[in-house]
Amino acid sequence: MLDMLKEKLSGLGVYGWELTETRTRGWEFYFIGHRLDQNRAKDILDYRAKVYVATEGGKYLGAASALISPTASETDVDRILADIKFQAGLMKDPAYTLTSLPVTVPEKRESVDVEAIAESFIAALATLPETDTEYINSYEIFVNELTRHTLNSNGVEYTCIFPSSMAEVVVNARAGDHEIELYRAFRSGTCDGENLRSELARALQFGRDRLIAQPTPILDKPDVVLSTDDAVEIYSYFLDKTFARFKLMGMTDWEAGKPICPEFKGDRISVRALSSLRNSDRDFPVDAEGSVIEDRDLIKDGVVQCFWGSRQFASYLGLEKSSAVPNVRYYGGTKSAEELRQGDFLELVEFSDFQVDPMGGTVAGEIRLGYLHQGGRVTVVTGGSLSGSLTEAIPTMEFSKEEKQYNNNVIPAVTRLKGLTVTGIK
Amino acid sequence: MKAPFSKYLDSLYPFVRHVVDELSREYEYVSLLSTDSVGFTVRISRHGKSASNENMTTERGNVVRVLTGGHYAEYAFNLPDASDPEKTLAQIRSSLRMQEALLRKTGSKIYETAALSDEPCELFAEKEAGILPECVDMAELIGKLTALSDEGMSAVPGALDCALGAMSTHISKMFVTKNRHMRQSYVYTEGSYTMMALNSAGETKMAHEGVSGLGGPEILDGLRAKISQAPKLMEEMLSSRPIVPGEYEIITDPGITGLIAHEAFGHGVEMDMFVKGRALGAQYIGKRVGSDLVTMHEGALCADSVTAYAFDDEGTPAGDVIEIENGILRTGICDALSALRLGVKPTGNGKRENYAHKVYTRMTNTVFDSGTDTLEDMIASVKHGYLLRGTQSGMEDPKHWGIQCIISRGYEIKDGRFTGSVVSPVVMTGYVPDLLGNISMASADRGVEGNGGCGKGYKEWVKVADGGPYLKTKARLG
Repeated sequence: MLDMLKEKLSGLGVYGWELTETRTRGWEFYFIGHRLDQNRAKDILDYRAKVYVATEGGKYLGAASALISPTASETDVDRILADIKFQAGLMKDPAYTLTSLPVTVPEKRESVDVEAIAESFIAALATLPETDTEYINSYEIFVNELTRHTLNSNGVEYTCIFPSSMAEVVVNARAGDHEIELYRAFRSGTCDGENLRSELARALQFGRDRLIAQPTPILDKPDVVLSTDDAVEIYSYFLDKTFARFKLMGMTDWEAGKPICPEFKGDRISVRALSSLRNSDRDFPVDAEGSVIEDRDLIKDGVVQCFWGSRQFASYLGLEKSSAVPNVRYYGGTKSAEELRQGDFLELVEFSDFQVDPMGGTVAGEIRLGYLHQGGRVTVVTGGSLSGSLTEAIPTMEFSKEEKQYNNNVIPAVTRLKGLTVTGIK
Repeated sequence: MKAPFSKYLDSLYPFVRHVVDELSREYEYVSLLSTDSVGFTVRISRHGKSASNENMTTERGNVVRVLTGGHYAEYAFNLPDASDPEKTLAQIRSSLRMQEALLRKTGSKIYETAALSDEPCELFAEKEAGILPECVDMAELIGKLTALSDEGMSAVPGALDCALGAMSTHISKMFVTKNRHMRQSYVYTEGSYTMMALNSAGETKMAHEGVSGLGGPEILDGLRAKISQAPKLMEEMLSSRPIVPGEYEIITDPGITGLIAHEAFGHGVEMDMFVKGRALGAQYIGKRVGSDLVTMHEGALCADSVTAYAFDDEGTPAGDVIEIENGILRTGICDALSALRLGVKPTGNGKRENYAHKVYTRMTNTVFDSGTDTLEDMIASVKHGYLLRGTQSGMEDPKHWGIQCIISRGYEIKDGRFTGSVVSPVVMTGYVPDLLGNISMASADRGVEGNGGCGKGYKEWVKVADGGPYLKTKARLG
């Protein structure tokens, strides 16, 4: 099928094309308590084709794509490709170039031991420090081997095999008839049993603490400390603001060579796109368009270095080369985690949902659990909400030198923010 | 015209029948779901246009389910060799054996579950559709959407974008067991616009509206009326200010009413959560959870929406369940396996993201019943509060009945009149029984919307619809 599609795309008479064959071999295990609810396996093969058509003498370039089933007949394939060629001709975007550098990185063809990874997850989740009052409610384990062949009309042909896993775990804590639950989703390449156990032990502690939590008092604008994966939402804002498409849409006023805020009273952040990151579920060196993913500074010491994005938007911005950024490191803190936990502050570790609006930087989250540090006393609190503007918090934002990896993001282990509003309920 | 059932699936039936019959010799229960759903997505933006034959419900594949050793196992695949079913059977058997071996090796205990019912059923349902997505004149559609985008841009000076999105799927599904052969096909369509502009402080503000329903791309014609209202909405968003946090009287439009239905007692009574002990609702069956004005239905039969199927992904016919009746929680919704474990009847709510995903209990149409009040009377009754419009997102909390809804905007009401002031965004939080218990008025009309998708936790995205009338209640806004 791959050869047939490649041949047909090459003869289609279009400006350019991309083709990806993805095979997913997956194992899944679903547990209620520690009893198996269901097990599943899958073996899925998909083809995605994208064609580019130039119109009006090259003034415009349009694109259209299709998911092609491996059971599609040759007649179906011909019709699908003709359809997307026609549709691409109707999509009149300003012309752009489809640069694609030769892929010099070695192919990754080592197969993934799905069974062994699944066994590691099952073993790790069976040996947690549970008690009669803090325990695992249920969990789901997903382990995939993805084999991806990427081809394009510039001659790129690259094969990469990589693992992608997830463990979704629900933790309960109980005091008498009062029971609460905490939700955790761990995405990774393979199973990091030690990290999984450590994070879930922390979750069990949070569960214990939430049972004795007091209503969050009215605090106005305390210093807020984040030390869980919720902080990834904060850091992703910096990646979004250097996204070429956002730049063209006017959704970011950040400019290459200029600082991200007029004055820094806190730490100056650096953001680096990574070519590879161990145990990320996105550890592939070539993106879907056939562009090589390289180590690259997007922001250095608070100053924007460059934007990133697809070939279309990179071309519009005049970037010589670009790619997707599947893995990223945020760093540049000058204090230790311990130093950032000095004085009065509210450390928030559980939200019902925590979001940062990538357009305006609005922060919103309903507080499930926090630790209020005031005058040397620590009070466990719950309820109320956190809101405010991340844009206004950036100049005074501080973050630790210590780092923590959450799947495809390496972020400071501790982040301290000023100027956000905590709406208490007491 | 009727949405025709997939010829591909009909041609695959002998293979499917053979696989099911062969496996039925070895396993107590066997089912096979095959899907062949085609459609499109078109996106028109000032900053990039795209077309694809793919959207969140397009798929072609198969999943076999068996009862083995007291538990259920599944194998999903999309490369059946119709000419050699023995090859597929060998792959299924091999996969099942390998997983069983791992479960033995890890000493995993089993959640013992009985065999699903396999009462004979022959069902063939082709629902009415207008234009089929695979037959749409794409040049005409792209032209219309481009013209609407241009119209929106020209109507709002300084707009950053007026992006249009359109999706339509012609769904065909076949469910086969030893005693069942069920086939269905239907078409749904949804479309929306998103307009963005900068306010005087340089902040990006967004206006968003959509259309959706059971039917073909002709539903997208409704976007014209939405776009004509976009300039006024954008003006309101640009002049909006942050809300002063506090508890207010609120009136929810049918979209926000639907969001509350979905987040409050949609997820809260998905009965696979009862099996896991994750839903407080299990303890409240027969008890009061809302005011007398609260009656809520759930089911694929409740509305001709984006999820109005004839049977679910486990072969259970679609239903219409009264979850809350005059404020009393009557029952939840249930997939077939959870129903078996709880000793209740399945309600036709077993849904998969696609054939390659597990079945969970999922919502279809979740709708509050209408009342008898007029919107004018409801507004006139408000001392100080907001009329809330525009769904952005919501978060369920079935265990603790907390609710969080992020809402696009609120129109301030003082002493029964709109002040002209608009707040945005609005984060509504609260305790579900308080929110529903404080419902004091409900309008006589109702609306049902089905744009976007719904996740279980943070994954498993499926189409749902929700709605109801205008409701008056109290909530904490921030």
